[in-house]
Amino acid sequence: MRLPTGSAYLRTRLSVALLTVGLIGPIGPLDIPLFATPKAPTAQGVAKLVYASSPFGVAVTQDGRARYDVHVTASGLPKPSTVGAYSAYVAWEVTPDLSTWVRLGAVTNGTSIVGSTEMNKFLFVITAEPSATPDKHSGPTILHGTSPSGWLQSFLTHPLFRGVY
Amino acid sequence: MRGIASVLLASALCVHAVSAHGQTTATPPKTDTTMHMDMPGMEGMSMKMPIPMPAGMPMMPGLVGLAPNVAPFLPGAGVDPMTLPAVKPSSVARLRSGDTLDLTATLVRRTVRGHAFAMYGYNGEVPGPLIRVPQNATIIVRFHNRIDLPSTVHWHGVRLDNKYDGVPDITQEAVPVGGDFVYRVHFPDAGVYWYHPHVREDIEQPMGLFGNMIVDSPDSDYYSPANEEHALMLDDILVNADSLIPFGKEAPDFALMGRVGNVLLVNGEPHYTLAAKNGDVVRFFVTNVASSRTYNLSFGGAPIKVIASGQGRFEHEEMVPSVVLAPAERYVVDVRFDKPGQYAMVNSVQAINHYEGVFEHEVDTLGTISVASAAAKPDLGRQFTALKTNTAVSREIDRYRKYFEKAPDKKLTLTVETNALPLATVQFMSIDTAYFAPVEWVDGMPDMNWLSTGKEVRWILRDDATGKENMNIDWHVKQGSVIKLRIFNDPKSFHPMQHPIHLHGQRMLVIARDGVPTKNLVWKDTAIIPVGSTVDLLIDASNPGAWLLHCHIAEHMGSGMMAVLHVDP
Repeated sequence: MRLPTGSAYLRTRLSVALLTVGLIGPIGPLDIPLFATPKAPTAQGVAKLVYASSPFGVAVTQDGRARYDVHVTASGLPKPSTVGAYSAYVAWEVTPDLSTWVRLGAVTNGTSIVGSTEMNKFLFVITAEPSATPDKHSGPTILHGTSPSGWLQSFLTHPLFRGVY
Repeated sequence: MRGIASVLLASALCVHAVSAHGQTTATPPKTDTTMHMDMPGMEGMSMKMPIPMPAGMPMMPGLVGLAPNVAPFLPGAGVDPMTLPAVKPSSVARLRSGDTLDLTATLVRRTVRGHAFAMYGYNGEVPGPLIRVPQNATIIVRFHNRIDLPSTVHWHGVRLDNKYDGVPDITQEAVPVGGDFVYRVHFPDAGVYWYHPHVREDIEQPMGLFGNMIVDSPDSDYYSPANEEHALMLDDILVNADSLIPFGKEAPDFALMGRVGNVLLVNGEPHYTLAAKNGDVVRFFVTNVASSRTYNLSFGGAPIKVIASGQGRFEHEEMVPSVVLAPAERYVVDVRFDKPGQYAMVNSVQAINHYEGVFEHEVDTLGTISVASAAAKPDLGRQFTALKTNTAVSREIDRYRKYFEKAPDKKLTLTVETNALPLATVQFMSIDTAYFAPVEWVDGMPDMNWLSTGKEVRWILRDDATGKENMNIDWHVKQGSVIKLRIFNDPKSFHPMQHPIHLHGQRMLVIARDGVPTKNLVWKDTAIIPVGSTVDLLIDASNPGAWLLHCHIAEHMGSGMMAVLHVDP
């Protein structure tokens, strides 16, 4: 695949960005902006976390972790076969230490509800795969992002806690 | 309306200034740690005391030595708690239509962590008497205020006559110290309700003024059968090693996220116990009466079936892993204890450690259910497993479905404004709110929270159409109309936080959250609005009068977060 360069590349990025905003609206507080990799630089998207159905309005597990349905809106995804011997794009939730990958579901251009997450902090990764239901990930990363809780930072050494203002 | 707002904010204790724009005026937090000790018995009481901090988390250096910009208040100033009658557990008042109940708010002695304190109770009890009445009953309640603050009684969730709703300066004058008021309470709907003051809830409620009401349907099959029924009132209280943390005299302290206690209580006691038989189906009427805490309640792995909210049954029963209750919410749940042994009733949440930037699993054991090996009689296992569909509920809601898709009649945005908070608080919040939890389950920064009062913090309900805020909102709708209210909890405010929004005297359906339609509808009077969420409520405006709409976090309401919906005949 030949990558767009220069002004053509910028025009492509801009049009995809506008398309994405048009499709999904502005990025919200429970949204995961997704970033493209060189494998498919035209791809863009956002994963939106929406509380799973619950009689209480707020869905949580017995130990208190939030349960969200993940709504993915993507655009600019090329045909999987153009990035290799693949037939589908698949979304995964991944622990921050990359030790655990949980398959959520298949992603296409447009909006898909790919499943539910119960992780406090996670990476959200979309890979190209030989099938829509692989047991484990094997293909290249196409889009990736971090759960909003990934913004939670340690203040252990922050000047605020050392009395510096 | 400004006058009403100022009275509601202030009560007779307060001298809280409200400007022409509804903005509170304030000065920075005091560093004088002796503060105003001008009331008898307040000598030696100081607002400077170590606030219990989360384990391993230091108080921020920039906040050390500061104290809230309010004078301290505790019930029974000058009274030796040992001279007060010891609090009694809740009794059951089974009343028929036409019966009269005397309800007296008094000082009582309660013991927390081995220390005796002067607190409040109704009829000397915490919780107050459980009022149990048949549906459509009307009772007379003669309220006697014998505490050291003005008070009223609000009958939370009951669609009663507006003049008995218990809201000072909207439906009645506050009952002064030593005064009396007669309420006539009509119960049109089966369910579980509660009563509490509507004057300085941030003080009177956690100090013990609350009680349940259970309204029984004439239909004996209204709920599925259960072996036992019990009411659980969940509460918390904030204490140090040997003292209560004083309340703000002129305005609430802990105004940013409300006062979150460090001792969790069930029915006013720190460890609830219940004996059951093997296989018992126990029905719990659960009410969250805490000022700010949202609970995630479970029963040691025993299966839980949710069957009703406070105002009636769900369209269909559901098995749930736990029960989530925001302040003022009620749920009716059946729990089956199908093996002998000890079951820990726990509140299990994911706290955020802001210091280390991590989630921490926090579990508080609220009580123990001891299940004997003797078999339950009758065995209700089959009925418990069957999930009942309440077609009568769905049929009644069918009348309202045509309104689900209409454009919102009213829109509110939830936000907050602050002034004169400590610099360290402002700096920390500006960084820390890069991430906020949709629901804050614990107070992760109690030092910052403690130092914020109703003088520096103004919580806001903002009418999107007019820009009017709080008590300046002047909504009028016709009796019999069905109102779609869309509420957005702005995540970009200084301190985004969930709000349990309560509407007095009516009933409403939560028809959608973030654009996703609700699958299992139920009538409610209080609904949680998580941070960043947009929630659509459908209000059955059937009951005429002036009805308060407010956040049920006591300190948020005490910092302005309320409006009035007029339902005109």
